Amino acid sequence: MSEWLGYVRPDGTVGARNLVLILSGTLYANNLCRHVSEMIYGSVSIEHPLGRTQVAPDLRLTRKFLSGTGANPNVGAVVIIDHFREENCTAEDIANDISPTGKLIATVNIRYDGGYVNALDKALHYAADFTRQLSNQRREPVPVSKLLFGVNCGTSDTTSGLSSNVATGMTSDKIIAQGGRTILAETTEWMGAEPWFMERAENDEIRKQITDAIAHMEARALASGEDIRGSQPTGDNILGGLSSIEEKSMGATKKAGTKSKIVGYLDICDRPGDKSGLYVMYGPGHGGESISSIAAAGSQVLVFSTGGGHTISHPIMPTIKVTGNRNSYEAMKDTVDLDVSGILHDEITMEQGGEMVYDEVMATASGRLTKSEVFMDHNGFAIHRIGVSI
Amino acid sequence: MKKVFVIESIDNVGTNVFEPIEKGDTVGTHGVTSEITVTANDAVPYGHKVAIREIKKGETVYKYGLSIGSALVDIQPGDHVHVHNIESNRGRGDKAQKDATVS
Repeated sequence: MSEWLGYVRPDGTVGARNLVLILSGTLYANNLCRHVSEMIYGSVSIEHPLGRTQVAPDLRLTRKFLSGTGANPNVGAVVIIDHFREENCTAEDIANDISPTGKLIATVNIRYDGGYVNALDKALHYAADFTRQLSNQRREPVPVSKLLFGVNCGTSDTTSGLSSNVATGMTSDKIIAQGGRTILAETTEWMGAEPWFMERAENDEIRKQITDAIAHMEARALASGEDIRGSQPTGDNILGGLSSIEEKSMGATKKAGTKSKIVGYLDICDRPGDKSGLYVMYGPGHGGESISSIAAAGSQVLVFSTGGGHTISHPIMPTIKVTGNRNSYEAMKDTVDLDVSGILHDEITMEQGGEMVYDEVMATASGRLTKSEVFMDHNGFAIHRIGVSI
Repeated sequence: MKKVFVIESIDNVGTNVFEPIEKGDTVGTHGVTSEITVTANDAVPYGHKVAIREIKKGETVYKYGLSIGSALVDIQPGDHVHVHNIESNRGRGDKAQKDATVS
């Protein structure tokens, strides 16, 4: 399959969904956002506890997460609701960040628009109008090169590095071979796999950026009093059979394939360039924060490889859960989309497992709902933070 | 016959992703090769590794076709391979760091 069906946006990007996003600027607008999304067909709200009294680097991060999510091509229109104003992360700042995409944007401010009820009224009118406008748009066939694919893993076990991560990596290689791009994040799990990264990186500048990123993440862990290298692999990992951080990280990197070059290093939430290839992005191991940073960078669909099974699901980026563990699939099959355990049971080849994941990605990008989307489970949005509230 | 999964041809360990292996079991391989058979010298729980070739003390342990550490002792085919007989190649640096930070 060399094409998928998506919504072509004014800036040339292509969405796998056509959502009206009700985006909360701050904790105190969350409830209002939820009310709007509950009333408006095809809308989804993003709520979070941040955007107030954060140290400057953290507020910048919050803005990057919110603006990037609004700019994601899966979002056709955005209504940003704020409670008052936090300098450098106002609804207008976020709207300005998103505006180059050319999509429909509106801002509502509870304080300036006459209080809670009037703001709700205004937001509902915007959202209703946007939903009707977006409903005119149809999916069109677009090349695979329009796909920015995200990969992540969580609740990994022995089967992850041997089956589901490998099948995910084959999918990534296949997308990149057709001109597409992939983002790999989770810097914590680059440690010990440095030789793999150095070999795959296209040039010395990227090699240095990767080395610096790993050193930075290690330094942060040490500053917190936690020596990652002393506690990795974890006790659970050792019980499960993992003997070293190299072994753990190597399994994690499998989901980025074996063929594609690393063509760029990205800071957290940064949008990659147009060049086809694999991009590595700085970020934490926390599943929700990691997939949210990948969504904020513009990824339309993500494969979440999970040995143990999972419920994680991003509000605007379909999150395909794949497991290579048959027991986990049986236990979690109402939210895990795909079972590739046949690889380890000798029922299918690794290549066939890779085809299964690829086909699932193309079908999902073209409109098939993930199991979690059917449940309207939008649990996977989280904003990374590095400091404390002040 | 019980089996372990081998990923790359250079690998000298296989991973048990099937059923618990008991000491004395005959263990075959599956994955990149199905031609190796060893006798388990130890019990090998689900998820754990078994040596499919001899690995001498100090030699590199390969899984995924890449180093996952070095042998601390001579490891025989059929031995359970884990933290008791291999160590991370980053281990020494970690130890130095730990010693320096432990108060």
